[in-house]
Amino acid sequence: MVKKPVTIGPHHFSKKGDAVAFLQAILHKYDIGDKVSAADAEVLHAALALHPEAAAKVGAGVTHFSVRSADFGTKCFWVNRVDGSTEKFSIKGCLSG
Amino acid sequence: MSLDNLQGWLVGEGLRDDLDRLTRHTVVAELDNLVLPAGEEAASFDWPRLLLAGSILARSDQRTYQDAALRIATAAITLSDSDAIKDSGAVLLSKLSNFRAVVLATERGLLSADVEGRLGMALRIEAQRRQIDQSVLVQSSGRWIQVNEFQQRFWSEANNYQWLSASAPTASGKTFLVLQWLIDQIRSGEMRVAVYLAPTRALVAEIEANLVALLGTGSGIEVSSLPIRDKHDKARLGGPRAILVLTQERMHLLANAIGAPFKVDLLVVDEAHKIGDNQRGVILQDAIERASRSNPVLKIVFISPATQNPQELLVDAPDGARTASFESDVPTVLQNVIVAEPVPRKSKQWRLSARQHASMLPLGVVQLASSPSTLRKKLAFIAAAAGERGGTLVYANGAADAEGIADLISQLMPEAPADPELLELADLARKGVHPHYLLAPLVERGVAFHYGNMPSLIRLEVERLFRSGKIRFLVCTSTLIEGVNLSCRTIVVRGPRKGIGHPMEAHDFWNLAGRAGRWGDEFQGNIICIDPQNGQAWPDGVPERARFPIKRESDAVIEQGDSLADYLDHRATNDLSAFQDPNQFEQVASYLLATFMRQGSIAQSSLAKRHDPAIIARLEASLANIAKDIAIGPEIAARHPGVSALGMQRLLDAFRNYKGDVENLLPAAVDSDDSYDRFVTIMRRINQHLFPAFTPDGIIRLHALIVVQWLKGFSLARMIERNIDYHRRSRRSFKLPVLIRSTMELVEQIARFRAPKYLSAYVDVLNLHLVEIGRQDLIDDDLDIGTQLEFGISSRTLLSLIELGLSRVSAVALYEKIARDDLAKEDCVAWVRERNTQFEGMDIPAIILREIRGKLLPEDRAGAATSTP
Repeated sequence: MVKKPVTIGPHHFSKKGDAVAFLQAILHKYDIGDKVSAADAEVLHAALALHPEAAAKVGAGVTHFSVRSADFGTKCFWVNRVDGSTEKFSIKGCLSG
Repeated sequence: MSLDNLQGWLVGEGLRDDLDRLTRHTVVAELDNLVLPAGEEAASFDWPRLLLAGSILARSDQRTYQDAALRIATAAITLSDSDAIKDSGAVLLSKLSNFRAVVLATERGLLSADVEGRLGMALRIEAQRRQIDQSVLVQSSGRWIQVNEFQQRFWSEANNYQWLSASAPTASGKTFLVLQWLIDQIRSGEMRVAVYLAPTRALVAEIEANLVALLGTGSGIEVSSLPIRDKHDKARLGGPRAILVLTQERMHLLANAIGAPFKVDLLVVDEAHKIGDNQRGVILQDAIERASRSNPVLKIVFISPATQNPQELLVDAPDGARTASFESDVPTVLQNVIVAEPVPRKSKQWRLSARQHASMLPLGVVQLASSPSTLRKKLAFIAAAAGERGGTLVYANGAADAEGIADLISQLMPEAPADPELLELADLARKGVHPHYLLAPLVERGVAFHYGNMPSLIRLEVERLFRSGKIRFLVCTSTLIEGVNLSCRTIVVRGPRKGIGHPMEAHDFWNLAGRAGRWGDEFQGNIICIDPQNGQAWPDGVPERARFPIKRESDAVIEQGDSLADYLDHRATNDLSAFQDPNQFEQVASYLLATFMRQGSIAQSSLAKRHDPAIIARLEASLANIAKDIAIGPEIAARHPGVSALGMQRLLDAFRNYKGDVENLLPAAVDSDDSYDRFVTIMRRINQHLFPAFTPDGIIRLHALIVVQWLKGFSLARMIERNIDYHRRSRRSFKLPVLIRSTMELVEQIARFRAPKYLSAYVDVLNLHLVEIGRQDLIDDDLDIGTQLEFGISSRTLLSLIELGLSRVSAVALYEKIARDDLAKEDCVAWVRERNTQFEGMDIPAIILREIRGKLLPEDRAGAATSTP
């Protein structure tokens, strides 16, 4: 299988696995309930843009990102929108396109 | 023969047979469905002889003799047909200063009115002198109130001493008189702020309601049970004087909110023996000391039920303070100990006997409706049969048992159209808890249960309707001996336990049994003990009357020798998870550490005088070793009793080392989506650095969820509904009654006890850190998180409703209808006034509506009452 390079904003990765690891490292810096910092949020904006359902995930517009609990005791990124709605998204989902 | 010898001879020999017969006849009259032994003779007594003996016995201050005199007087009034004998019985009662019983006999038609008018001149003068002797003058109103000996002594000593400790059994009229005295003090003296410490929220609610009722409207004295500084500050500045009724935790919250200007002039400590309670005893001790530090001339009154050593509470009085203690053991009502044993081979028949000194007096056989095949059925069937006329309390070992026994009793009740007040309570139970909450159908049949984690509005209504007689059977748990003033006519009990599994000690049993007999409502109270010979139920038999030994929790832990110092040494070096039961020592260790930090040593503190110098020296060394690493300062340690300064220091260190954005350390606003997860992380942080309060780790999510829902102002009904949904969605099996009870328990134990204690300390330490790093902008000066959790509120409107005196159940029900979350008290009143006529269509339970109107529109209600033809 041919390695497929991935670009998230200014960050370039020669293969998808590296990009996943990069995003997961960001995720694991946070405890659940934390708001994602402005610098990391830039990365997440770029990552979310790669999501196959990017338009639906962004919806009315993103105010900020959070780290919250997901199923089975895991944690993941959540997008918080200007209309007050919120939805989780997975790192692998962003990079599956 | 001396008087004492004569009295001893009368009770032990001279009158023994007569007293036994009197006891049998008076007790039999108290029991229902009793088949008397064949050949039972009619009551016939030599009354003049008995009454003469009674007046000799009445001169003693020993309980046994006074009991005998009271038995004779009561029997003369209730058993004799002769007016002259009844009148003599009344004279004997007044010799015992039991004027309330005379009033009761007159109300019941047992005595013709105006006993005094029928007495000869000499007796009349004596009676009048006694009435004057046994009265106290309420300074503020100029009114005289008739009192018994305990009450009179309390009144005079409370006025004369700075620190007073008074002890008397239940039904001595303690609470009534203390409240009268408190009001008199605050009205007529220089005192501006009084604090009434009551160790449970249930007792706080009850005392607050009593004070409000006694003061009436327009008294110019503010009463509050909220830890909010407003009333304290106004009183200090010359505004209306304030009586604040608080638990020890609420007093600390109030003192924290006020800071240095916190000052109390008069402190009443009710149920003061609870200074010995595990975990909360030391918090009570700390509250008393904190109030005492606030004002060197603070006046303190301790009240306790029958205790052995009320003077123990005075040892920490400041030098030079005038102190006094006294105990009374005067009976006000007869208390009959009755044992119930099965008739061999006849399971539906139970033989009842009265215990009189060492002998058992056979009373008769009670016939049960069905065969009692389980322990619950024994309690239920015997209570339903022998206590059929009502006022019957059954003691259950736990909430599940209480529900089960009440359910059984209700099935024996004939179907009858329910009273409107009972229907209202059933409606409140269905809407306030769950449509299938078992309490609802039971109260419709005049049966109820009662336990600590129930919402207070429901519990208070249950108590009120039990007092009024509409609820005839009440099955309760140890909540009742943890500080609820509720008496009954008959208690039915089998193998009582306190907490989980521990057989009740004699003094606990008598604290419970002492509730049998409503002074002023009944002449006698009955304690029916089932299976007295059963060693599992009663390991030491049915206990003899006994009094509480008062012992501070701190003293009890320190007395264990090196264990506490070992704990302190380990606490300094080890991970908290290494301790099997850190709760055993943590509270007292924290208290000592805070004392050490404040004084620089514990060697000079008054507790040092009470213990072995070697133990104190060892503790001193351990404390010094810990304190050298603590930089947070004594003030913050004093603000969080029971929370270790060492833990707080470690939390501060963790904040200092935190690499992320400092804003992520703060609790998120409860309406934000991050709130729940943020609480999960904060609870983990608390477990790791401060104290393992939310364990095991797997339970944290549930605890955080409960805390968020509670803070959001969810009603209990909604929380239960959510919990059911969660179980259904995740396909977990559940039993509805268990799930209802466990949700109630989580609210009380986690959201209202553990979470406020530790989250409040967390936020305080975090604020310290924010100041250190120059981020004061992040400090929220609004309501303290501890207070928010105590009441389950996070919006201004909900706080205003609670400040107006509503219970949380009512405040939340009303808040569901109010759109705005920022209403001040006046706005809330205006909102209610505008919609007053529309409430009936809003599906709000009648009891809640009554509370809303009573608290928010009191003038309207008064107006309505006077305009009624």
